[in-house]
Amino acid sequence: MWLIMGSEKKIILVTGGSGLVGQAIKQAKQQDPRENETFIFLSSKDGDLKDPAATQRIFERYKPTHVIHLAAMVGGLFNNMKHNLDFLRNNILINDNVLQNSYKLGVKKVVSCLSTCIFPDQTTYPIDETMIHNGPPHSSNFGYSYAKRLIDVQNHAYHQQHGCHFTAVIPTNVFGAYDNFNLEDGHVIPGLIHKAYIAKKEGKPLVVYGSGKPLRQFIYSIDLAKLFLFVLREYEEIDPIILSVDESSEVSIGEVAQIVADAFQLEHGIVLDSTKADGQYKKTASNKKLRGYLPDFQFMPLKDAIERTVQWFNLNYNIARK
Amino acid sequence: MNSTQVMGSEKKIILVTGGSGLVGQAIKQAKQQDPRENETFIFLSSKDGDLKDPAATQRIFERYKPTHVIHLAAMVGGLFNNMKHNLDFLRNNILINDNVLHNSHKLGVKKVVSCLSTCVFPDQTTYPIDETMIHNGPPHPSNFGYSYAKRLIDVQNHAYHQQHGCHFTAVIPTNVFGAYDNFNLEDGHVIPGLIHKAYIAKKEGKPLVVYGSGKPLRQFIYSIDLAKLFLFVLREYEEIDPIILSVDESSEVSIGEVAQMIADAFQLEHGIVLDSTKADGQFKKTASNKKLRSYLPDFQFMPLKDAIERTVQWFNLNYNIARK
Repeated sequence: MWLIMGSEKKIILVTGGSGLVGQAIKQAKQQDPRENETFIFLSSKDGDLKDPAATQRIFERYKPTHVIHLAAMVGGLFNNMKHNLDFLRNNILINDNVLQNSYKLGVKKVVSCLSTCIFPDQTTYPIDETMIHNGPPHSSNFGYSYAKRLIDVQNHAYHQQHGCHFTAVIPTNVFGAYDNFNLEDGHVIPGLIHKAYIAKKEGKPLVVYGSGKPLRQFIYSIDLAKLFLFVLREYEEIDPIILSVDESSEVSIGEVAQIVADAFQLEHGIVLDSTKADGQYKKTASNKKLRGYLPDFQFMPLKDAIERTVQWFNLNYNIARK
Repeated sequence: MNSTQVMGSEKKIILVTGGSGLVGQAIKQAKQQDPRENETFIFLSSKDGDLKDPAATQRIFERYKPTHVIHLAAMVGGLFNNMKHNLDFLRNNILINDNVLHNSHKLGVKKVVSCLSTCVFPDQTTYPIDETMIHNGPPHPSNFGYSYAKRLIDVQNHAYHQQHGCHFTAVIPTNVFGAYDNFNLEDGHVIPGLIHKAYIAKKEGKPLVVYGSGKPLRQFIYSIDLAKLFLFVLREYEEIDPIILSVDESSEVSIGEVAQMIADAFQLEHGIVLDSTKADGQFKKTASNKKLRSYLPDFQFMPLKDAIERTVQWFNLNYNIARK
């Protein structure tokens, strides 16, 4: 039946559905379901998206009307630095297969996922959606960055030539359950959580590299997922949209570490190792566009979000990626 | 002779993709004028296979086993074609380039020289433009698909070098012209377009009509000069960063001057006429050839007048087969 309660039936394919963001979308759509929406969460078991034939089989099997495209080859700093070609080429292959099949099947909307880390290395702040292509990205992961930037180019090209409705979101630092908690490869918050877990077991303080002063914006995966659903259901632009907390919600690495230490009730608190280098002081992303659409959206307070993530990690230590 | 060492130099098998086009034909001529015993050139055309197809490209590489590649093949077109098909220009060129570079890597090709263009540079930029500026902003929207696909070659070159030590590089010519150009009145570039218009003007006993004020300045490089520089890059240029191949800034000419040279080459009785109701393009788009000049300070470009005369002569003699 194509019309249910006045709304068309949507079959929403989520590539990379078993990752940090995919799991969060699974939860968010359970909290805010729509009768006309059926979600299919893919994982690598369903097929290799680098392979055109395998991707085509997936699309023909599920016949999606909508796609949330999260699947990508990702990795930590050192992995990127050594394999920029693989990160470039494999992600271009994945993205081309997903977008081309979406076009061929007449998918009504694709929401892909970029990242604030792909923005120009030399830039003014705050960064906004108009600045993505204004200079080379940081050299450490230029392969990944150019592949992601290309999605925005492809979105505009498919729209211009075929009227396709492909768009993208640009999250800042995401964290939450099902993250990658690997000590070398993981991002800031999951890395600190894993270190704090070990510190708790060993009765030691949580050691934080650097002065603890650099500021960052963090978005909880469940909040990001709610915003993904908003973009899927209501955002009509081809231009991408940054999904981030406000500039006023920037926190220092030191503050974040303290919140993590408190969540673990670490007896010895945190210790700053100032012999280690700081990253950039501020990397503010503007969420003005998002606020233009959703002025009243409430992000979960960082303390609560970190506590929930720590709780998940403690309960799911064995299956957590680390 | 199958030995890889000939006269102290390794044997080179140089595959030229897009070998039948403007630049490919010029390279054919330039290497005849400056041959090397250890170099064998193979000029591909679309008849050899579709480079958008991975399997066809692999067959070509396995058949010829090149040691070097000059990669000229691309999907190209005029302004209106680009504006309507940005996806095709983006996607097809990415496919072609990926197939050529990937197969070059797999086969252990020693060097690939690809071809960018000054038209892929940022639309909002300072002048003169140089090789460091390619990625500093979005290209002109009219052909953004083509431009991003070409820019990606530079990214791929650095990625292949960083991860695998491959020696892939690129040249960035300014406006090329010469024999075997595309002389189509709608799609062709400035000089071939004016040449074709002048040919018609000659037949009809009319002046050559030039759109705009004739004042905008451009740098033009004759295809044979470009080809000589391609051979230099192939044989001696070791950087992964690209190199602009252009005449000096002092050799910039106005569209009006170029039109006059063409009218003179055809001996048009009524000369040129400027239609100033038509819009001018950008006044100056100067590209810096400083890097080239640091390598080849004494390279002599053919005087523009002579190069245009030769191209006009070719067009007159080859009107029937010329692309138009």
